[in-house]
Amino acid sequence: MDKVTNVRNMSVIAHVDHGKSTLTDSLVQRAGIISAAKAGEARFTDTRKDEQERGITIKSTAISLFSELGEEDIKEISQKTEGNKFLINLIDSPGHVDFSSEVTAALRVTDGALVVVDCVEGVCVQTETVLRQSLGERIKPVVIINKVDRALLELQVSKEDLYQSFARTVESVNVIISTYVDKSIGDVQVYPERGTVAFGSGLHGWAFTIRQFAIRYSKKFGVDRAKMMERLWGDSFFNPKTKKWTKNAKDADGKPLERAFNMFVLDPIFRLFAAIMNFKKEEIPVLLEKLEINLKSEERELEGKALLKVVMRKFLPAADALLEMIIIHLPSPVTAQYYRAETLYEGPSDDASCIAIRDCDPKADLMLYVSKMVPTSDKGRFYAFGRVFAGTVRSGQKVRIQGPNYVPGKKEDLFVKAIQRTVLMMGRFVEAIDDCPAGNIVGLVGIDQFLLKSGTLTTNEASHNMKVMKFSVSPVVQVAVEVKNGNDLPKLVEGLKRLSKSDPCCITSMSESGEHIVACTGELHLEICLSDLENDHAGVPLRISPPVVAYRETVEAQSSMTALSKSPNKHNRIYVSAQPIDDETANAIESGKISPREDFKTRARLMADEYGWDVTDARKIWCFGPDGTGANLVVDQTKAVQYLLEIKDSVNSGFQWASKEGPLLGEAMRSVRINILDVTMHADAIHRGAGQIMPTMRRATYAAMLLAEPRIQEPVFLVEVQCPENAIGGIYSVLNKKRGQVISEEQRPGTPLFTVKAYLPVNESFGFTGLLRQATGGQAFPQMVFDHWATMNGNPLDNTSKPGQIVAETRKRHGMKEDVPGYEEYYDKL
Amino acid sequence: MLYLVGLGLSYESDITVRGLEIVKRCKRVYLEAYTSILMATDKAGLEKFYGREVILADRELVESGSDEILAGADTDDIAFLVVGDPFGATTHTDLVIRARELAIKVETVHNASVMNAIGACGLQLYTFGQAVSIVFFNEHWRPDSFYDKVMENRRIGLHTLLLLDIKVKEQSWENMARGRLIYEPPRYMDIATAAQQLLEVEEKKGLQAYTPSTPCVAASRLGSPTQNFKAGTLQQMAEYDAGEPLHSMIMLGRQVHDLELEYLYEYCDDKEAFKSAVVEDQKFFAPAPYIAPEENFSD
Repeated sequence: MDKVTNVRNMSVIAHVDHGKSTLTDSLVQRAGIISAAKAGEARFTDTRKDEQERGITIKSTAISLFSELGEEDIKEISQKTEGNKFLINLIDSPGHVDFSSEVTAALRVTDGALVVVDCVEGVCVQTETVLRQSLGERIKPVVIINKVDRALLELQVSKEDLYQSFARTVESVNVIISTYVDKSIGDVQVYPERGTVAFGSGLHGWAFTIRQFAIRYSKKFGVDRAKMMERLWGDSFFNPKTKKWTKNAKDADGKPLERAFNMFVLDPIFRLFAAIMNFKKEEIPVLLEKLEINLKSEERELEGKALLKVVMRKFLPAADALLEMIIIHLPSPVTAQYYRAETLYEGPSDDASCIAIRDCDPKADLMLYVSKMVPTSDKGRFYAFGRVFAGTVRSGQKVRIQGPNYVPGKKEDLFVKAIQRTVLMMGRFVEAIDDCPAGNIVGLVGIDQFLLKSGTLTTNEASHNMKVMKFSVSPVVQVAVEVKNGNDLPKLVEGLKRLSKSDPCCITSMSESGEHIVACTGELHLEICLSDLENDHAGVPLRISPPVVAYRETVEAQSSMTALSKSPNKHNRIYVSAQPIDDETANAIESGKISPREDFKTRARLMADEYGWDVTDARKIWCFGPDGTGANLVVDQTKAVQYLLEIKDSVNSGFQWASKEGPLLGEAMRSVRINILDVTMHADAIHRGAGQIMPTMRRATYAAMLLAEPRIQEPVFLVEVQCPENAIGGIYSVLNKKRGQVISEEQRPGTPLFTVKAYLPVNESFGFTGLLRQATGGQAFPQMVFDHWATMNGNPLDNTSKPGQIVAETRKRHGMKEDVPGYEEYYDKL
Repeated sequence: MLYLVGLGLSYESDITVRGLEIVKRCKRVYLEAYTSILMATDKAGLEKFYGREVILADRELVESGSDEILAGADTDDIAFLVVGDPFGATTHTDLVIRARELAIKVETVHNASVMNAIGACGLQLYTFGQAVSIVFFNEHWRPDSFYDKVMENRRIGLHTLLLLDIKVKEQSWENMARGRLIYEPPRYMDIATAAQQLLEVEEKKGLQAYTPSTPCVAASRLGSPTQNFKAGTLQQMAEYDAGEPLHSMIMLGRQVHDLELEYLYEYCDDKEAFKSAVVEDQKFFAPAPYIAPEENFSD
């Protein structure tokens, strides 16, 4: 742990059901934590009861493993190392899209990722999402193509077909990588011939890389290993007659040659499978001897799959292949933090904290990012789970706890508290430790009540925050909850607080009308959160409303005239106009590319260069909203108004208020730009306080919006369905009924499976899975992930249109007046 | 008819005779209760003195409910009582404008206000410049534009009347942001706080509009029997306990007349020190020495 160069922090990421947890088991088993027999079934990292029951991972779980590498292998490591002992901190993450936020939180604290891809299903929507996320965080990927046993046993593919399928998968992974790669981490595409791709079966506990086979054969052929690795992949063939390597698929006589990969790598595996599964008893011992596999006497008695499992595990143990790949190819914290520092830190890249992060310096001031909260066995308390990026964290140490809204030099969102204990997180167990130096992943006890969900811990007063994580999903599905028994209300309130803390992406709030709202990313997420709330966090029976969708309010045009509002004392006047922000800019703000915390000059440059903004306008952005981060902007376009800056704060607060609850249906605004055109102010400061300016700005914003063709936006899911051909008809008919829009339909080469991708309004997604199952005889399972906001056609002010009905329903639910007020309500005549 | 009636500074009996007659015969009487307070009495005291009911008008009513105040004023007489002088603060011009729009006649009964009563400290009203308010600083809002105005005044040698913030019925920032009508307990700024804020702004801006040793006069409970003045440097003001509210302050300009100075000696601890502070302070913004035009004796 103190030798940081020998630490590897990595996450296991993949599409749902591609076998992350199962694969993780084989690593855990190597560390001796679970027995070899159980590996592949125990799903050690699925610690929760519902995870075990449903067979899916919900929360990401961390474990630490020790490993040793042989002398030979150490030489392969191109970064600095000391000795041959390694510590691997591994985080198993959920694959279901609803829990993407867990993946984000896991990625933040790791430097490398093991991307698991199902050899039959190939690269799926969530594979792409998690890869994109990891590249965004500058995390280096290695790939394992999993479930190869399925291809062999169920699909009975030929060697060449299997090779082609591998090659295609590797290629599609590389396409994604090259699309989203950040130049500063260099080439992170994966190459089987360089050992960054493994193939295997998590369930059976075996896996291999080309490198392992290359080691075997390099002795035999007397060829250099590196050369051998290249020969074992791609268009490389071996002519057994001439004993020559060639690039041509045919020999001199025009007879087809067998691909080297097929001949040397796949052939022994295929032969073993064929012999064991076809019960050819006499062949088996011969093969085993040839491959130098020694079985114990009782293992010899086994047959069929059980024997296959034992043999394969001895032949190509998964843990060996994976650990080797992880240790050799994934970066150590020292290597990774060197290029990650600037993307991790909000402050200038030349200040002490950033340099300490870059150097992964255990002696510098502490910089620690808490990425999530993990419930402890003590109900209502949490471990703060995070990574030490610089300095050393100790039990009893006094630290500054900086929340996401902390601004250096101010006191908001800041606590100075002592850490009670530091612990190592080991799946279901924790282990207390005295201290933990930079580069490691750690759990902290005693600071949970000072952090909402995540935050920065430091001992340096001048430190800025570590960058806040951006989630790829957003909480667009919400329900109202109430207690069945009135006396339980305090328990519910407390439970909601805990729920919000324990989940990075679940938002709990209280609406105007006093309802308690729980917002989640999708139906499954909602289901899990609510059952947690009912059974665990609150522990009281609940009544739950049908799910509703979060909408956004926006504008389509420039305000038809300047909106004017006067302050209550009539001495201050604000003139504004509204206009839409284009989708690209809005998305860039939401994904954090355009950040309110960035230096305004850098930001203006970026907005001008890449999003077509006028530089002067971009420099005069007063604020983002709502919550200071949303995709709505206030731009100062006034000319020479004296003391204008004195009301800036009040204007901004007024805008936060307005953008959080828009005029149409009290939902947040999106993609709205408010230009302040002119301001008249009272001569004396006492008459232009917040009480005068805030409500005025809010009214002016509303008036400007209502004058600019207001519209509502609804969230839209990207749905991906994999199914056999005969189920496609059913999928289409369900999508049609649900306002779905098909964007692509492709057959996965080499399989009978089709992939249908479509956009589906979130509003229509409730019960979609069930309907789809019905319509396809249970053959189709959708993966739905929030994709974008779509402006709904139709005037929301017209009660007969679809948006109009939504407006009416929502206003009723929010306890607002039935009709949307006209702009005159907010507009003051001159 | 809408009558705007000034109530003066302290006692219920400070109202003018004409004002009292109007109050007695009006149909409705509103008491504006947020720009200032009467130091020696309250609503009940006024009702007893006038022998009639008085309606308390808070900020919401005056700013957003003017229609209610003006209802029927075209035929009936309505009185709107303001502590000090009706136009002492600019706040009520808006009410007059709205009355005009409704073709309601307006008549004003004036009274003493801090703007003229401040003459009691001995400084001549003629040499006062722009008056400014010092607002309570909080973490969100630290308005310091008064600094420029003090600078402008002092550049041409004028005194500055500093009115100190009062929060009779204000919402906290958080409640305001959520649109909740929950009010904080009343707060009145004292001399020491104001002086500390002035010093803080000077330290931040560093343009020497004034210095810690710039002479000032503190006026507490102006117009009441316990009225009190104190002359000293700004630094001394920052440590001065002026007692009960309300407080105001004057920052001296360069043009201090000998008589003014003589009057102020009464209020300072150390005459000599105060005098030297005044002389010292006159060096700031001092104009070029005055040269009398040469007299022409030729004819």
